[in-house]
Amino acid sequence: MMEVKEGMIKATDAFERLVHWTLAISCIILFITGLGMMFHSLNFIGDFMGGLKSLKYVHNIMGLIFGFSMIFTISMWWKEAGVFDLPADWQWIKVAGGYLWHVDKVPEIGKYNPGQKMFFLAVAGCGILMLATGLLMMFQPEFLPMWILRWMYPLHALGFFTLFAFFFVHIYLGTIGNPGSFQAMVHGWVSPGWAKKQHPKWLKEMEEHGTLKIYGGEKKKDTPSH
Amino acid sequence: MAEMIKLYDDAKCTACRGCQLACKQWNEKKAKQTTNYGSYQNPPTLQSNTYMIIHFQDVKDTKGNVKWIFRKESCMHCADAACVTACPTGALYHTEFGTVGLNPDRCIGCKNCVAACPFEVPKYEQETDRVYKCDMCESRLRNNLTPACVKACPTGALKWGEKDAMIKVAADRVKELGGDANTYGDQYVSGTHFMYVLQEKQPVYAALAQNPKVPLAVVAWKNLLNPLSLLAAGGIVVGSFLHYLIHGPKLPDETGETTKKAEGGE
Ligand code: HEM
Repeated sequence: MMEVKEGMIKATDAFERLVHWTLAISCIILFITGLGMMFHSLNFIGDFMGGLKSLKYVHNIMGLIFGFSMIFTISMWWKEAGVFDLPADWQWIKVAGGYLWHVDKVPEIGKYNPGQKMFFLAVAGCGILMLATGLLMMFQPEFLPMWILRWMYPLHALGFFTLFAFFFVHIYLGTIGNPGSFQAMVHGWVSPGWAKKQHPKWLKEMEEHGTLKIYGGEKKKDTPSH
Repeated sequence: MAEMIKLYDDAKCTACRGCQLACKQWNEKKAKQTTNYGSYQNPPTLQSNTYMIIHFQDVKDTKGNVKWIFRKESCMHCADAACVTACPTGALYHTEFGTVGLNPDRCIGCKNCVAACPFEVPKYEQETDRVYKCDMCESRLRNNLTPACVKACPTGALKWGEKDAMIKVAADRVKELGGDANTYGDQYVSGTHFMYVLQEKQPVYAALAQNPKVPLAVVAWKNLLNPLSLLAAGGIVVGSFLHYLIHGPKLPDETGETTKKAEGGE
């Protein structure tokens, strides 16, 4: 299921995948260590890393890695996943992309659908929020009035609320909810049938611009993509 | 052991600071060199190695007479303690005396309590990466001794006793003093286990938290958003599962001419 076959289409480059997994793994470790500090009943998570003090350090260091990968995430995906393509995206939102009820013809969308764009924007927005509130909670600078410092904590919790919920939606839709998607983030090649179903406009655009890369040789035109 | 209260009566306090010294001594905390800034109040605020201080303050009464008033500042030992709620590790905890204990071995120096405390009592120490505050001499309480500060007080300004008895002592003292005298602590944060009999109205005292409450931010964070985040994620997981069963996955388009076999949903 995961092998690359002739005729498959290039969806992501190695850099995108590297950034994605750096972001994802640091984020998941932040979730786990954060949960270890959120509820006393989950304090045992600290036992795997030599105590809760080490858990705090792991959390803080992962925060820096997460923040660092956030810079690349936002800069490389902003154009594709950060801006809505109206009115086409709106048409898609109105039928929820055919995900929730039967839709005869789902409006055609590009490389990322509006749901993915919302997820990207939530990750970017909450990511920046988590980084900013986290740093202030960690350093508690003198100049910050106490009542403002206090609100950093519920804001950090709000960011977690959002990211954690979206995370499960993302895993579901990136794996079993959309078979054929996961490999886009493993080796970067997707099947033509997947592309046609999921992102027909993206496929057409690549064909028109000659940027389509097909596995097994005959690239339509050898113009560099992006 | 019953719920206890430490009572401070500022009308009886001479600011000898015997309590401050006894506190340092029992807790084995060295003093740091400070600079004279024109007040006997020294150090000017609580520190990671100074769990209590006596405030010195000049106030003018209505006739223009200057008066010296004192106040002992230290942890208030709230019944509803925001620091305990905020502490991720259980390093801060409620005791059967009603006091708020602190186990430095469990403290990870996250400083959540520093931001949560409505009295701004816990203080962070860089060198040990830990937070410190008054624990009402829990080691003494466990051995049937009174807190060191109470033991040292020569004037009876500090008293230690069972909660109900102390609240009564405080009420009687307020009556005795008359005028603006009032109690501070019993009416806040579900009752504090360190409380005051004050001669003056509460706003007269410098740096005294007015109408202290568990901060709304702490409630929103710990009691609302933290549990809700688990609930929401749980809902999403269940929802995704139901979606998979009822609606099914979005399968690749098999009619495409270059398409190979569709990869079915597991
Ligand atoms: C085990 C966990 C994860 C899996 C299996 C996974 C899988 C995927 C897949 C397959 C895609 C490509 C979707 C497509 O091109 O249609 C993707 C994109 C993306 N992932 Fe993940 N991911 C995971 C965790 C995360 C985490 C934790 C984050 C962020 C905090 C994240 C952020 C993103 C973003 C921003 C995109 C860009 C496109 C979009 O918005 O969907 N991923 N992921």
